[in-house]
Amino acid sequence: MLLPKFDFLEPATLAEACEIMAEYRAKAKVIAGGTDLMVNMKRKLISPERLVSISRIEELKKLDSSSNALKIGSCFTAADIASSELIETKWGALCAGARALGSPLIRNLATIGGNLVSARPAADLPPPLMAYGAKVVLKSSSGERVVSLDNFFQGGGLTEIAPDEILTEIRIDAMQPYSGAGYSNLGVRSACDCNLVNVASFILLDGPGGRIKNAKIVMGCVGPTPVRAASAEKLLVGETPTDALFAKAGEAAGKECKPRGFAESRASAEYKKDMVAALTEKTLAVAHRQAMEQ
Amino acid sequence: MVCCDKEVPIQERGQFMKKVIRLTINDKDYEVAVDPNQTLVDLLRYDLGLTGTKKGCGMGDCGSCTVIMDGRPVNSCLVLAMQANGRTITTIEGLETHEGLHPVQKAFVEKGAIQCGFCSPGMILSSKNLLDKNPKPTEEEIRTAISGNLCRCTGYQKIVDAVKSVGK
Repeated sequence: MLLPKFDFLEPATLAEACEIMAEYRAKAKVIAGGTDLMVNMKRKLISPERLVSISRIEELKKLDSSSNALKIGSCFTAADIASSELIETKWGALCAGARALGSPLIRNLATIGGNLVSARPAADLPPPLMAYGAKVVLKSSSGERVVSLDNFFQGGGLTEIAPDEILTEIRIDAMQPYSGAGYSNLGVRSACDCNLVNVASFILLDGPGGRIKNAKIVMGCVGPTPVRAASAEKLLVGETPTDALFAKAGEAAGKECKPRGFAESRASAEYKKDMVAALTEKTLAVAHRQAMEQ
Repeated sequence: MVCCDKEVPIQERGQFMKKVIRLTINDKDYEVAVDPNQTLVDLLRYDLGLTGTKKGCGMGDCGSCTVIMDGRPVNSCLVLAMQANGRTITTIEGLETHEGLHPVQKAFVEKGAIQCGFCSPGMILSSKNLLDKNPKPTEEEIRTAISGNLCRCTGYQKIVDAVKSVGK
C-alpha cells in the first residue's frame, strides 16, 4: 500500500518542532517511531499534509532516574525499555508491557510516547504506566503542562493533546518501599498480536508483611480507554493480602468492566470479563511478590 | 504563519520536493534523492535494485522487509527513506563475503530452513542480529527473536534448528 503525499520535516531541536506544530497545527502530525501512524496513513485513515519527525531530537531519547523518580523521553523505544535493567528491577510492570508490545522489529521502532499518543484501547504501555500513576509532559511553543495519564485518554485514538502540543516526557514517581506492580496481557498469539485483554495492578503495603494501604487496577481492551477497577481497588485496601483476596478482587474487576461483545470486538464480552478476573488475580500476585521483596 | 485552516486534498497536493539523503548500505555509501512519502523498502528495491529485501504486507506484520538499521532489525516498510538519512543499513545482500555465504545462510540451506524463500532474507537478518548479540541463544530466545518474521512453509522448526546449529 502506498502512502499519501505529504511533506517531511525533521527539526533538530524541540523548540523548532514546537514552532512547526504551532504553525501547521492539525494539518501536521508528529512522527516518532511511525509504526502506528504509517499504517494508518497507508490505510488512508489519516493524511496529514506534513509529518514532523521528532526522532532525531536527542533530549527526547533520554532516560533520567536521578532522585529515584523516572523521567523517560517520549522517543525512548519499547526495545530500550524492554532491555533496561533499571526499569526491569524497579518498574517491572512497565518492562513487561514493553516486552509484550508488537514484535522485536516493531519494538525497535515504536516509542513509549507513540504508544500513548496513538491511544489504542489494546495498547500495552498505558495500563502499567497508569498503575504507576505516571504523568506526561505536553509542550508547545507557548509553554508546557503536566497531565496525569488518568485524565489523558479521551477515547479510542483520542487524547488530551492539543494540535500544537508534543508529548515530550513520561514521569513516574519513585517506587515507595513495600510496593509492587504486575502486568499481564492475553492475545491469540504471543507476538505481533492485538491484545484481547490486558491488566496492570499495583499494590502498596503498610509495612513488611502488612496490610494493603493502596491498590490500583487498570484494565485494557474493555472500553475505548484503559479503565480503573474501582470496586476491586476498594475491596483490597485495608486487607491482609492473600491469594483468596486477590481472587475476590479479580472477580470484582471482571464484574465491573463493561466490554463490548463479539460484533465490535475480537472476543465475547463474557470471555473478556472472565479473563479480566484471571489477569487481575495474576497481576496482583506478581505485585504482592514484588512488594514483599522490596 | 499559514492562516488557512482547510486541508488540501491529497489529489490536489502537488509533488512535494525530493530531498537528498546519504546512507550506508552494506558498507557502501549512497547519496540519493528520495520522495517524502517513499519508504525505505521501496528505496532499496526500486531505486537501488536491492531486491533481496522482500515486500510483503507493507504494514509491519510479516517481517519480510526486515533490514538491520544501526544494529537493530526493523520493518523497512515502516521506515521512511528520509528517516534512514545518515543511518547504516545491512540488507541480505550484505551478508555474503568473498569466502561465501554467511554461517547463518549456510545453516539455513543445510537444515532445510529455506523452502519458498520469501521470508528467508528477513528471517536470516533477525537470526544474525540475535547471534551477534547472543552467540548461544536458548530455543525460547531464538523463537522470540524471529517472532516478527512470519513463515508459511517450514512450521519454524527447521529455522529454529538452523539458528541453534550456528549457536553451538
